[in-house]
Amino acid sequence: MLGKRKRRPEEASQPSPQEVGSADSESGILHEAFRRHFEAQFKPLGGLKLKTRDVSTPTLDADSDSEWNGFSEPEDGRTVEVVECTAPPKASLAGVPKEELKSFMTSKPPSSSSRTKQAVSKSDDDSDDATDAANIRNDLALQRLLAESHLLDPQSSYSPTGANRHKATDLRLQSLGAKASILSQDKMPMSHRKGIIAKASRREERRRREARENGIILEKARKSRGPNIDRRERSIDGPGVGMFRKGMLRLNKRDISEIEGSKRPGGRSQKKTSRR
Amino acid sequence: MASTPSLRFESQRSLTYRLILSTLTGRQVHISGIRPSSPTNPGLANHEISFLRLLEAITNGSEITISYTGTTLLYRPGLIVGSATGSGVSGGVIRHEPPPGCVRGISYFLIPLCLLAPFSKSPVNVLFTGPGVITSATSAGDVSVDTVRTAVLPLFEQFGISNNIELRILRRSCAGPEGRGGAGEVQLIFSHQVRLPKTIHLMNPGKIKRVRGVAYCTGISSANNARMIEAARGVLNFFINDIYIFSDVSPAPFLPMTDGSNAGAKRRIGVGFGLSLIAESSASVIYSADVVSPPSGGQPPEIIGQRCAHQLLESVSLGGCVSPLGAPIMLTLMAMGSEDVGRLQMSKGVIGTEEIIGLGRDLRRFGASGWGIRDGERDDGDVIVSVVGRGVGNVGRKVA
Repeated sequence: MLGKRKRRPEEASQPSPQEVGSADSESGILHEAFRRHFEAQFKPLGGLKLKTRDVSTPTLDADSDSEWNGFSEPEDGRTVEVVECTAPPKASLAGVPKEELKSFMTSKPPSSSSRTKQAVSKSDDDSDDATDAANIRNDLALQRLLAESHLLDPQSSYSPTGANRHKATDLRLQSLGAKASILSQDKMPMSHRKGIIAKASRREERRRREARENGIILEKARKSRGPNIDRRERSIDGPGVGMFRKGMLRLNKRDISEIEGSKRPGGRSQKKTSRR
Repeated sequence: MASTPSLRFESQRSLTYRLILSTLTGRQVHISGIRPSSPTNPGLANHEISFLRLLEAITNGSEITISYTGTTLLYRPGLIVGSATGSGVSGGVIRHEPPPGCVRGISYFLIPLCLLAPFSKSPVNVLFTGPGVITSATSAGDVSVDTVRTAVLPLFEQFGISNNIELRILRRSCAGPEGRGGAGEVQLIFSHQVRLPKTIHLMNPGKIKRVRGVAYCTGISSANNARMIEAARGVLNFFINDIYIFSDVSPAPFLPMTDGSNAGAKRRIGVGFGLSLIAESSASVIYSADVVSPPSGGQPPEIIGQRCAHQLLESVSLGGCVSPLGAPIMLTLMAMGSEDVGRLQMSKGVIGTEEIIGLGRDLRRFGASGWGIRDGERDDGDVIVSVVGRGVGNVGRKVA
């Protein structure tokens, strides 16, 4: 009983009658609610009447002369199985940023710290890159000028030369994290070094003494400590105490006293150390 | 260690955790009553035997005695040496082959191995290969390797164990027919060894800030991945917009036919698809979910994606600073930490499970101190669990 189906392009664009009805009644309910609210606050509205469109006659008459009457009911009581096939979804990997892909889909476990870093850098991308770079360059130049301005003498230009250039380089290196100044001499005769250290300590001692005599409170003297040997991170499979060298475990006096514990019964050891 | 009497346990429940606690603390265990009443398969299952083999491979000097029926097991742990060159290690890699009919996913082996690895003497480098490796999640409750990589390994970062850890997925495989076997290949490299894990204080779960995930399919069209992702996003987009789910498509692994009729014949195994999702909070707490298509098939990708999203939402709704998946790992590492009180906020729904309570009891049997539990500061039904470490960490490697 299936006829040839005609094309009905104008039908397809029209909303179905059910949709029209539902939308209309919905707006009607809204209108009614607003109206009731208004009337509760002010006085009743007289003239306004709710407009209702007649939804019982949908405009399907244009096609009524078609010979196709739709699908017929199956005679033997079989039901038609409806398979819903939604449209193929768009590729969802299109919008994935590359660094996200790299950090998440490698063999390493994704770490939270690396991902926050990326988030920061991503926000930077939004602003204009060229002006940003120029701003940063100017900033750096200004910072350097401010930091090294005491090296400049008035008649020279802004870029230091000669000895001042070396000093400026030294300052920059130290601000970048250099451990020692490049200007400090690291190789010299022992007597010279001793002399320098003695002079410095004498000068410091004099400064402190004069301050004390004059009643000035200075900062606390810091004891300079060398690299602390026994707080170092020990290797996993090495011994937990002493120093293993040339097939021999050397224990110094302190190690031995710590192992033996305090001699006095009941007394606590002078310095509590935690060793594993 | 031989002087201390062995701890006696019964039944096969939490066998792996008991064995790794035994290895970590150096106490020998005697486990009896392993499936005694099963008429067909009494005693240890083949994946449990395989796990014991793995333990033997990464330790030195452990003794394993199994009774004739397999219902009783005596395990005397040795030192955890990792993949140091020696017996069974070639080129610094231990090769481990689970049995061909293995029904458990590879995470059954991976997670306990990750718990042992930080306390090893040398780096741990194990290659899981062979016809028994299922890299996907399984219906037995194991998570997929993606979840292990993205949700379990980041837990170790909180304990200061974060360098040189890799989990390489060399070949993916879902569970084979009837859920038995796959033919995947996974390599775990765990090269950060510590004396003691750091003490942690996690008291603030934070808010969920991102959702990530991996959709994987082996041997089928990548459209299935896209459909899973679409369905999962359909559920999750309502709550958060920072969602990326990656798609991984791989061919199904081939296995040579074993029946011997045709020498060169091969068969495909481990066809399927699945989804692994994680939700990360602003305090780096990770909740995870994992759903895979059943080996018998018959479930469309939309259902898998939706179920996975719902499972993730359920895991998030439990709350606390640790997910149900990560809770036993965190609590074990805390118990092995330094002699200091670590605190962990946990949801009642997480701590009140049989598994966690059983773990707490087991830890006490092994000599760890009990947990202190009090109500959290916020009125959200969470409890704060205080765990005092044993300070052993690494019983075998201390030189007195």
